Amino acid sequence: MARILTPSEEVQLRLYVAGHAPNSVRAIANARSICDEHYTLGYGLEVVDLMMHPLRALADGIVVTPTLVRLSPQPTLRIIGNLSDRPQILLALGAGA
Amino acid sequence: MTASSLLHPRDMAQRLAEAEATIEALLSGQIDAVVDSKSQTPVLLSKAQEALRLSEERYRRIVETANEGIWALDENGHTTFVNGQMARMLGYSVEAMLGLPMRELVGAEDRERMELMVEKGRRGITVGGDSALLRKDGSNLWVRISTVPIADSTGAYVGSLSMVTDRTQQRAAEEALRRSEEQYRQIVENTTDGIVTIDRAGLIVFVNGRFAEMLGYQPHEIIGVSAFSLMSTGRRAAAMEAFKRHKFGLKGVVDSAFCHRNGIEVEVNIAGSPILDAAGNPIGSLAVVRDVTEQRKLQSQLMVSDRMASVGTLAAGVAHEINNPLAAVMANLDYITERLMSDAGTALLQMDSLPREQWLRQEIKPCLDDAREAAERVRFIVRDLKIFSRAPNEDACTPVNVKSIMESSLRMAWNEIRHRAVLVKSYGRVPDVNAIGARLGQVFLNLIVNAAQAMQEGHAEDNEIRISTRLDGDRVIVEVADNGPGMRPETVGRVFDAFFTTKPPGAGIGLGLAICQRIVTDLGGELTVASEVGKGTTFRVSLPAAGAEASELVVAPVTPQAVRRGRILIVDDEEAVLRVLRRIMSAEHEVVATLDAREALALCARGETFDLILCDLMMPRMSGMELYAELARVAPAQAERMIFVTGGAFTEKARLFLSDPPKEQIEKPFNIVNLRAITQRYLR
Repeated sequence: MARILTPSEEVQLRLYVAGHAPNSVRAIANARSICDEHYTLGYGLEVVDLMMHPLRALADGIVVTPTLVRLSPQPTLRIIGNLSDRPQILLALGAGA
Repeated sequence: MTASSLLHPRDMAQRLAEAEATIEALLSGQIDAVVDSKSQTPVLLSKAQEALRLSEERYRRIVETANEGIWALDENGHTTFVNGQMARMLGYSVEAMLGLPMRELVGAEDRERMELMVEKGRRGITVGGDSALLRKDGSNLWVRISTVPIADSTGAYVGSLSMVTDRTQQRAAEEALRRSEEQYRQIVENTTDGIVTIDRAGLIVFVNGRFAEMLGYQPHEIIGVSAFSLMSTGRRAAAMEAFKRHKFGLKGVVDSAFCHRNGIEVEVNIAGSPILDAAGNPIGSLAVVRDVTEQRKLQSQLMVSDRMASVGTLAAGVAHEINNPLAAVMANLDYITERLMSDAGTALLQMDSLPREQWLRQEIKPCLDDAREAAERVRFIVRDLKIFSRAPNEDACTPVNVKSIMESSLRMAWNEIRHRAVLVKSYGRVPDVNAIGARLGQVFLNLIVNAAQAMQEGHAEDNEIRISTRLDGDRVIVEVADNGPGMRPETVGRVFDAFFTTKPPGAGIGLGLAICQRIVTDLGGELTVASEVGKGTTFRVSLPAAGAEASELVVAPVTPQAVRRGRILIVDDEEAVLRVLRRIMSAEHEVVATLDAREALALCARGETFDLILCDLMMPRMSGMELYAELARVAPAQAERMIFVTGGAFTEKARLFLSDPPKEQIEKPFNIVNLRAITQRYLR
């Protein structure tokens, strides 16, 4: 099983969703599952509902939901979609590590 | 300038990658909402759009898994869409078919029709039909096409959508069915038998060409006509009765006759079988009708030859039968001559009248009686032979006495019987039957000879042939039974088959009983057989009674009443006959004799009257018939007094003359007692 290496820094993720839309619900579940499994040393995941806080889209320049943003470690990374293609997601996160 | 323009090239590349990922996610349906750049509010992708995507997915699946080809054309007849099945059916790839004009995919002969279909589609008409499409390899693909026009939102025709079903297999099945039907049609139309089907009412549903031709019609002329109305009138009732008896499902083989358009009767043999509905109830009949007119003709020729054969086989016996009495006649005559010529005779003739009379009574009279009786037997034999030498159908049915016919047949067959069996006769009183005596005699003779031949020669006292007649209701039953070896059941079943015989080759051709049965059937009767191995065989003839009482000739006892002297005219061209008639009659009557009928006519014309005119039928210058006709004109009372003396050798004309109306006749050789009796009737 691939491990996402997170040396000393803290892992900070933010997931932008649109209420209870199907892909958003799926994205939240997928994000938690991936993080629980791979960031065994701990991580931070903030879920931002743009239906409740539309203006927060501005902060990270969000165009569509669901979008997962990795705030740290650097560089910042955006993954768009419901995160169901797990190998592709791990590759993206691992490559950025 | 926006901030983006200040982006580092590395960020730029990332943005582009993100945009690409965004589009990809959008296309794969992983996006819920898009953030409006101006209002910064997320706009949810509508549920309807999602549903549309799902339903499109569903339709795409249906289209691709369908067994039918799906083919869309634009308004110019160019292919805009095909599903995989359509491409497979025509041997193309889906891509290769796109853009292909319809013309290139349709067989040459169907092109015009397809153009017409497109034209109809243009007018908004849904069309369908069978057609041949052209495969990539140039072969034909037989399809059924159903096409609907496609219109845009303004209602303008923008093309068509077709469902295309492969009919190759269906066509093969249809072709096989068509061929099989064609084959049966050929059989039905080319068979030499007529085939006709009728419904429960007897109306014709179908006829083949042969049946129509047999009766001189075109098939369409007799469809719907009652089959019974085409039958000859005499046979109609029986056929209808048989049809009803078999619950409208004619079954088995029957003989009947139809009436040709030209009025001629067509003898047929009908083999019927019922036509049943799904529940097994008869809904009509199928009949195979065979024209047996020729066969019947042949059969009657065979009957003649078979009868000739019977006569031939019996000729020896008959010669024997004739020789016996003839010998007696000759011997007696020789004896008389000898006695008369002897010294004793000469002496006696000079004696007194008493001893001479005694001598005549005791010596000569018995000889003469014997000679007379023997000659009488010869006469019977010859008369019997005559019965069997008549051609078939030349006589009409008349009431005949079964016992007399049987007696004739027994006399004919006597030589066959006497060495083999004892004859037991038991005649019950039965009425006459309507028959042709000669043919009924043939039947009896056949049965008697068969019975006799069933027995071994010798041991005649152990074997028995039993002849019996009795009345059963309104039918006359005649049985010929023997106690011979009998027959096994399989043999019994075939005895009436033509050309079936148990006799050794050369002894019989096996037609006797077949012909007998036909004769009896023609008379409205039945010929049946019962046999048991070791017990014997019984043939039974059952015939409808003619209705009249027995016509057996009852000869009234000749009362020796006072004879009135009459005046008799005798006309015969045979001098010997004329002489003997004159000798017999002149003792009691005044006799005028002439060799020429014209002289007789002249006498009557002059006013001479006679109590009786004995006239020969066949004479060279003027026949008895002509004399009768002339007398009827000039002296009708005299014509009424005519009795015809016949030699038996009849012409058709003579037979008709004597029977219609019936005229008094005496057969040669005549019996003096009869002649006197008849004469007496005319003198009373």
